[in-house]
Amino acid sequence: MGEVILTMKGIDKSFPGVHALDHVDLEVRKGEVHALMGENGAGKSTLMKVLTGIYKKDSGTITYEGKEVEFHNTREAQDAGIVIVHQELNMLGDLTVAQNVFIGREFKKGIRIDDKKMNEEARKLFDRMHIDIDPTETMSRLTVGKQQMCEIAKAISHDAKVIIFDEPSAALTENEIEELFKIIRDLRKQGLGIVYISHRMDEIKVITDRVTVMRDGTYVGTLITKDSTKDDIINMMVGRVIYEDPKTQNMTPKGSPVVLKVDHLNAGKMVRDVSFELHKGEILGFSGLMGAGRTETMRALFGADPIDSGDIYINGKKVIIRSPQDAVRHGIGYLSEDRKRYGIVVQKTVAENTTMADLDDYSNGPFINKRKEHDVAEKFVKSLDTKTPGVDQLVVNLSGGNQQKVVIAKWLTRNSDILIFDEPTRGIDVGAKNEIYKLMNQLAAEGKAIIMVSSEMTEILRMSDRIVVMCEGKKTGELDISEATQENIMNMATREID
Amino acid sequence: MANKSVSKTAGTNRSFIDRMGGQKFIVLIIVIAMFIFFSAMSPGFRKYTTIVSILDYSYYIALMAIGVTFPLLTAGVDLSIGTGLICYSLIGGYLVVHQDWPVAAGMLVTVLMGVIFGVINGCLVALMDLPAFLATLCTCMITRGFGAFVVGGYGIPWPTATAPGGWFRSIFKIQVNGQNIPVGFLWIILLVIIMSFVLNHTKMGRYTLAIGSNKEATRLSGVNVKFYHVMAYVICGFFAGLAAIAYSAIFATVQPGSGAGFEMDAIGGAIVGGVSMTGGVGSVTGTLIGVFVICLLKTGLPFIGLTANWQQIITGLVLIVAVMIDIVKRKRESGK
Amino acid sequence: MKKKVLAVLLGGCMVAGLVAGCGSGGGSNSSSGDGGSSSDDSSSGGGSYHFEVVVKSFQSTYWQAAIQGIDAAVEELGVTVNTTGPNAESDIADQVNMLNNAISQSPDGIALAANDQSAVLDSLQDALDAEIPVVCFDTGVPDAPEGSVIATIATDNESAGAVAAENMYEVIKDYIANATEPVRIGEVNQDATSANISGRGMGFINKMKELLEADGKTVAVIGNQFYVDQVENNGDEGSADVIIEVAVPAQTTVELSATEASNIMNKEDTIAIFGSNQVTAEGVLTANQNLSVLASTPDEGIVGVGFDAGATLKAAIADGTLIGAVTQAPVDQGNLAIHALYDYCEGETVEDIATDSYWYDAENMEEADIAPNLYD
Repeated sequence: MGEVILTMKGIDKSFPGVHALDHVDLEVRKGEVHALMGENGAGKSTLMKVLTGIYKKDSGTITYEGKEVEFHNTREAQDAGIVIVHQELNMLGDLTVAQNVFIGREFKKGIRIDDKKMNEEARKLFDRMHIDIDPTETMSRLTVGKQQMCEIAKAISHDAKVIIFDEPSAALTENEIEELFKIIRDLRKQGLGIVYISHRMDEIKVITDRVTVMRDGTYVGTLITKDSTKDDIINMMVGRVIYEDPKTQNMTPKGSPVVLKVDHLNAGKMVRDVSFELHKGEILGFSGLMGAGRTETMRALFGADPIDSGDIYINGKKVIIRSPQDAVRHGIGYLSEDRKRYGIVVQKTVAENTTMADLDDYSNGPFINKRKEHDVAEKFVKSLDTKTPGVDQLVVNLSGGNQQKVVIAKWLTRNSDILIFDEPTRGIDVGAKNEIYKLMNQLAAEGKAIIMVSSEMTEILRMSDRIVVMCEGKKTGELDISEATQENIMNMATREID
Repeated sequence: MANKSVSKTAGTNRSFIDRMGGQKFIVLIIVIAMFIFFSAMSPGFRKYTTIVSILDYSYYIALMAIGVTFPLLTAGVDLSIGTGLICYSLIGGYLVVHQDWPVAAGMLVTVLMGVIFGVINGCLVALMDLPAFLATLCTCMITRGFGAFVVGGYGIPWPTATAPGGWFRSIFKIQVNGQNIPVGFLWIILLVIIMSFVLNHTKMGRYTLAIGSNKEATRLSGVNVKFYHVMAYVICGFFAGLAAIAYSAIFATVQPGSGAGFEMDAIGGAIVGGVSMTGGVGSVTGTLIGVFVICLLKTGLPFIGLTANWQQIITGLVLIVAVMIDIVKRKRESGK
Repeated sequence: MKKKVLAVLLGGCMVAGLVAGCGSGGGSNSSSGDGGSSSDDSSSGGGSYHFEVVVKSFQSTYWQAAIQGIDAAVEELGVTVNTTGPNAESDIADQVNMLNNAISQSPDGIALAANDQSAVLDSLQDALDAEIPVVCFDTGVPDAPEGSVIATIATDNESAGAVAAENMYEVIKDYIANATEPVRIGEVNQDATSANISGRGMGFINKMKELLEADGKTVAVIGNQFYVDQVENNGDEGSADVIIEVAVPAQTTVELSATEASNIMNKEDTIAIFGSNQVTAEGVLTANQNLSVLASTPDEGIVGVGFDAGATLKAAIADGTLIGAVTQAPVDQGNLAIHALYDYCEGETVEDIATDSYWYDAENMEEADIAPNLYD
């Protein structure tokens, strides 16, 4: 670790109704990877937005390279060498990789944009990072992992001195994460200061040098990573010890009936001849790598995408599902992997989102019974411990984990018997994660049948009673939890087919 | 002039304004300020008869605007309401004037035509996935031609107030002791209350806003998105039909070929009143207040002696200011 | 008549059908076919000519009035005439088709009231090539091929405006003569761009100014710049005895015309107002719905004068709300068009004719030479 490059001291920021940051401190040195941790809504993202000029701080000082600074927009921060790699990728899907990397500072030949030079420069950049991406490829055709690499490449190309990674691994596979770490270590060696925001404790241990923990908008403390244990950090984050062991045996009651049977389902290129059964009270894990077709299978099953062929049986009866409406009517609820796009209606309140799937039960004829709606929303805010000033709050103002809880509340309100959780804990902190796990177990115990799609191996092993593994649109294996190991799942997930 | 004081207000006391209904409140202040300004500048404007005239000429715009609020809230638009209004009125009026249908039947046909074109627009946009701008631009042209075609290119004079069947004109204005009472305003208020209720307290309204805010998430909640999306345009068509009746009742003759541009007054009013062009945000009361900004400009500027060109320039400038207030306010809210 | 209702319903189905992807209207041509029957004169004498007439539209009483004049000429001259016209003035392509059909009949001459001045140019060239003389009536075709149009018979808009001014002045002149304070006369023109409207507007202004100045009054014209700029020797607004205020609405809608009219009619010193076409005249009437200031003399209120006809205007004149209006002469135009063709065929030289405009009021609107010119 080198000298201090960035100090944030006593940063204070309020939004109407929320004291988002309460005198928070952060110090980053050259050549260190500094983890910033905290539960949902602890203020990590807000702090970084203050740093990069997206938000204006109310008070406090930012010292960068020995001088007090205040950036008014990300452009100024970028020019000074502070770059943020966002949790949500800011990519223009229709442009090429190189065009994305150099957006806003295109190379020019006269007034014409010099695409050739941009491609060359991008290639050099990728070579330096030891990653293999074609700069002329259209961005939307890359995997999420590759897109993330481009985002990092873009940050590096800004001649950055401080790079902030905001949950970079959330959408990446294990292999991609390894690649990411390689790049980060490289950058550390070059003397850059790196802020790493993540919820994944194992990553923190592997990659970071120090950890600063925040809780409820306040600064809790900073630890040297190698001198602390997981539990130390978690305790600072949540103020209580949580640890739960993985499942070792199938918890589904013996002789539990099949509530959902999917038979030779085909839908587009990504769902090819998928069959499986789901029992009452069971949590069925769907494992696989990015692009294995798990989400696509769920969307087809839910009627969100058209089915080409195959049959679906619910409680032994064949059903036709042509639209989400049909699926919901048959008692299926779907929690999408991409909450913002498919899960919540951001401009509506918590209460309005809660009843979105079941408004009929909260209406008299065409008229909405707002009191009843309010009551059920309050009930779920309490039982799911959703952190919101009130049920009339717009969900756009909630943090990711709390938004997820609102989506769960939506399907619980509907009282769906079959619940599909697609990446239920993506972008959610440890405390909230455990709550959601507990909730899923509880729901299964109450007799709900749950499908959980997850890219996190630990999550799959911890939660599932049985595991379906997919690879390239096909089901490549099915395991009982008692026989599942990381190795045999990974083996199936990467199995060569055809 | 009028707007300076308003933007100052917007800067100093945000929480108060938000408590009072956000942009709606700002726009209401604009309306009041404009009214005071025009009254101070022109003795002719201060008269009761002028107020009645402003109201007279606002009914059809207000009705169109209430209707078009719904497609706007779904992140769509309906450009066919202006020429549609004329088309529906021509057809209804044709049956009354040239086919001796009872006025009530003619009115019914007028509204029905609006509903039919609403269904057509809705189907094109929601079921066939045409962009709303394009689909309704097409129906805009169709209604323009269709109305003129039915009446053979000639104006339709709905019965005058004193003629048999002229009773329908007193829906909007009655005479008591020789004074004109603009009762139409009460109907507008009543409809605004009803549609506010529909927007805020019914499934129809809830899903309209949800579609505008996030159509895919709404669909994945198992909502019959297509139906409610179509319905937004049907409501719009229905109100265009009502606007056609208001237009017929206030003005003597309905001329085929006119009507293009009416929709801009209505859409402009809705936007000024806080309806977001990207959907999901807005209110019917805001729309009504916004419509009065437009109507006051249209009526007030001639009264302070500005000629046609200046009227248009100033109307454009005021609209920019009104929309800017909204944008600045939103940026502040998100902390930027 | 039943058929027309059917056509409406059919049309409704057609629009609905458009969505399903089918197009093409069905029942539209039938009505024009019925209306388009020839008004042949079977007892035509020797050396008789056959003319084709294409009017702007067959539907309105305005054009029925023109056909009345044509029929009268047929009686007088012993010629045969076949009259056609599209459903609506906006059916430009239909009219061009009809014109082409007329040319292919090789008549001795064609009378044309063109809906679009440029769409008919090719056809006029064809007529010239086929040596068929064409007379334009109601509307001229300024860019017609040299020699194709032998005469144009249309309203003199300047004098039409002047007719309005003369008749208005009759009513207000005593009041002005005795006035101690300046008085105001308003004029609402639909636009400042079309030749017809601006001709009328200036015709009114110039005549009114001339009459007032002849009686020793000073006149100032104010308002719309386009009109004010065309006034010669304009007086000073501050010292003039009479102010003529010209307003042009921002858009050609009744409501904006009404707003402009209200503005003028609200002023204390206004004694008269002129709406120079149907829309603006109706604007004056719409404004009056709330103001109730129009009257038959300046002592009682504001004197209103309109232009053209239409049911609304006719009713307002009949009940005295407006003292009168100016109408163009469709009967004369139809009649003169046939006469011009006949004269040409007889080897005489023909010239352009500017037809008169008629003043009509509650007194004379039922009279035989006026009533046919007043369409609904």
